[in-house]
Amino acid sequence: MTATLNVLVGLAMGLNLVALGSSRLPGLIRAVALQGAVLGVMPVLMHAMDWRVTLVAIATVAGKGLVIPTLLRRAMRAANIEREIDPFIGFVPSLLLGAGGTIAAVALAQALPLLPEHAGTLLVPGSLASVLTGFVLLIGRTKAISQVCGYLILENGIFLFGLLLIHATPLLVEAGILLDLTVGVFVIGIIVDRIQRAFDTLDTRKLTVLRE
Amino acid sequence: MNTALSIAVSAVFLVASLICATWARRAWCVTVVGGLFAQLLGAVLVLTSAGTWVFAGTGSFCGQRLVFEVDALSAFFLVLVAVVGGVGAVYGSGYWSESAHPRTARLGRLWWSVLLLSLDLVLLARDGVHFLLGWEVFTLAAFFLVTLDRQRSEVRRAGWLYLAASHVATLCLFAFFVLLSERTGSWKLGPMLGHDELAPLFWLALIGFGLKAGVFPLHIWLPSAHANAPSHVSAVLSGVTIKLGIYGLVRFTGWLPVPASAGWVVVALGVISAVLGVAFALGQHDLKRLLAYHSVENIGIILIGVGFGLVALGHGGAAWGGVALAGGLLHVWNHGLFKALLFLGAGSVLHATGTREMSRLGGLWRAMPWTASLFALGAAAISGLPPLNGFVSEWLVFLGLFDAAGSRGPMAWGAMPAAILLGVTGALALACFVKVCGVVFLGAPRSPAAEHAHECGPAMRGAMLVLASACAGIGLGPALVWPAVARAADAWRPGELVVARPESLTALGAAHVVLALLAGAAVWALARKASRAGMVRAVTWDCGYVAPTARMQYSAGSFAGILTEWFGWILRPAVHREVDAGVLPRAGRHASHTPETVLDQVVEPAGRLVMRLSGAVRRLQHGRVQSYILYLVAGIVALVAVVAAGTPP
Repeated sequence: MTATLNVLVGLAMGLNLVALGSSRLPGLIRAVALQGAVLGVMPVLMHAMDWRVTLVAIATVAGKGLVIPTLLRRAMRAANIEREIDPFIGFVPSLLLGAGGTIAAVALAQALPLLPEHAGTLLVPGSLASVLTGFVLLIGRTKAISQVCGYLILENGIFLFGLLLIHATPLLVEAGILLDLTVGVFVIGIIVDRIQRAFDTLDTRKLTVLRE
Repeated sequence: MNTALSIAVSAVFLVASLICATWARRAWCVTVVGGLFAQLLGAVLVLTSAGTWVFAGTGSFCGQRLVFEVDALSAFFLVLVAVVGGVGAVYGSGYWSESAHPRTARLGRLWWSVLLLSLDLVLLARDGVHFLLGWEVFTLAAFFLVTLDRQRSEVRRAGWLYLAASHVATLCLFAFFVLLSERTGSWKLGPMLGHDELAPLFWLALIGFGLKAGVFPLHIWLPSAHANAPSHVSAVLSGVTIKLGIYGLVRFTGWLPVPASAGWVVVALGVISAVLGVAFALGQHDLKRLLAYHSVENIGIILIGVGFGLVALGHGGAAWGGVALAGGLLHVWNHGLFKALLFLGAGSVLHATGTREMSRLGGLWRAMPWTASLFALGAAAISGLPPLNGFVSEWLVFLGLFDAAGSRGPMAWGAMPAAILLGVTGALALACFVKVCGVVFLGAPRSPAAEHAHECGPAMRGAMLVLASACAGIGLGPALVWPAVARAADAWRPGELVVARPESLTALGAAHVVLALLAGAAVWALARKASRAGMVRAVTWDCGYVAPTARMQYSAGSFAGILTEWFGWILRPAVHREVDAGVLPRAGRHASHTPETVLDQVVEPAGRLVMRLSGAVRRLQHGRVQSYILYLVAGIVALVAVVAAGTPP
């Protein structure tokens, strides 16, 4: 069980690096969608088949793996934007940062006082690494859609951490988080379209005149 | 009629005046004057009976129990508020009338009532919270009164400067009261001389109250605010509100222990304010700005008196300290009276000619004899000439200084130069007012505006007459006001300072009466001679010019030229001259201007430095979302590091 879980978490961590290294938006969206789907399977692996765990898993796979990527692709098409990612932090430095972050996450997780049943899993380092990756994407990318992707990866990291507590967290909270996320991406999809129409660009650097 | 009743009546009337301020002009005037008359009566009762009136309410206000007290010191300042506040209200009804200022006249009345009520609250409060509340409200009311004419940009600028400076003062007072309540455990105010650990708080009070009073390096807000406010507001600002700074200083040096050096610091500030205040006044060409600088000078004279009272505490409460303090306190009244009179006179000039620029005035005594003679009386009083009130209080301060100088000890070395510099101040003030009266009222009109001047209305004239007769009254009967002054000085630190009546006081009064009679007889004889012999008007010696013009008269700048040169090191006058030195010179130009040295050379550079530093910090706020997230991550990492460092392994 733990071995399979670790493989999946490892896969998610690998997808982090893929997301950091992809130079085109569709590739980035695909990486994020795949990571969401991988994460969605995990609750089932971790716990006995329980109706609420299954529900969470199905909703996560559907939401993160299908609905959100579809929304993003539609926004991308509707706004008719360039597909190249225009980074603040170049791809190689981002990858190095991501790799360094992953190593740091593993080291930090060793130092944390975890419960014995979680000590063997990669859940905590995976979660921390995803959060860091999300931040690197948020800081280092300029297009609005790539920032949404960074935000999604950040949220995935939080979700991974939340898996440690899946029995303690009420279903309603899980569902609420997922709903928030979906609606958030939906709204951003609309805003992206509006920004594109109003300013003829999606480059967030050009929005700085709105600061005050 | 007892004190409690008159104060209650006064409160009711003043609150009623708040209500009728916006719609009933006459009712407002009646309620304000009636309320202030009741207040005057109550205060005089306290001053004559040597008792105190205490009101300890059961209700609470802002979390503190309502406690009001009127002792001799509070009553002393209540008298000033009542007289100047009432006279200013009457003057204002003619000066800032509904017809001349339809947009702001009612606002002016409303804020006037608020100002009076909050001033009374400050004087009556025996609780830190209520004191601060009154203080802040009266600052705001004064701000709105200063900026009544806010269409003009210089009025707005003066208002903002006043507001900023006042809030620095309020900030110091907040710190003062919070530290005080923290150390004593309650917000209650009263004598707490036993707590020696409270002494350092004096410095905070000195900055806070000193800023309000306009002590020299802290006076930056005063000239522009007093010059640009409507004249009746200038009168109450200069006559009353800056005295509240003195009240605070006297009150809290009386209640709290002070550091050993406090007295000398106050004396030094007083001497600096007196000499430099009058020096700056000499350099001014704007009538009201000149008067404003004389406020700085007179605050200096008051502080010299108060400072020697503080110094005397360290010498067993010697009698010279009591006399100097009494002189300082009497000067509070006197300055309030004659400075209000002078500002009201300047207001009449402004009302009649539309300008405060002295180089555009001249020859006004023909058109406005009342204003001219009342202004001249005020000018004689502020210059400390007998037989008027300014001489009485300065004479008391001098008497204290001479006694201190005569007694053996270190204070003789401080009192001697202080007395000399006080004398220099009086002489310079006299020169300055000779300049003002000569340039504004004598000679020939320098502009069409001055030619077409007219005398002010009865309300304005009556208000000035009241103040002038009060000035003359204190001058002629100093023995009558001495008990009130002595009670106030005695209430400062009961039993610690000997406040003995100077023996020569009665003689001084008699000499003043004789002098006044002689002067009256001389004037009468001159008038008789003139009417018998008839008058012939002719030009004065015109230096051989064929066609002398009004522009050839001494101007304000040229009259004081020599004196301002002496003080060139601090005044730093800006002179622009274009003079053609050929055999047949063409038209030349000469203009001089005295800048606000402290504001321009100290405060503004400091402000610019702060702005540059904040500008550098502001670059962090650039609008890039990515960097904001980076700040966030850096903040979280720093927090984690702090927590990790703080957790024991």
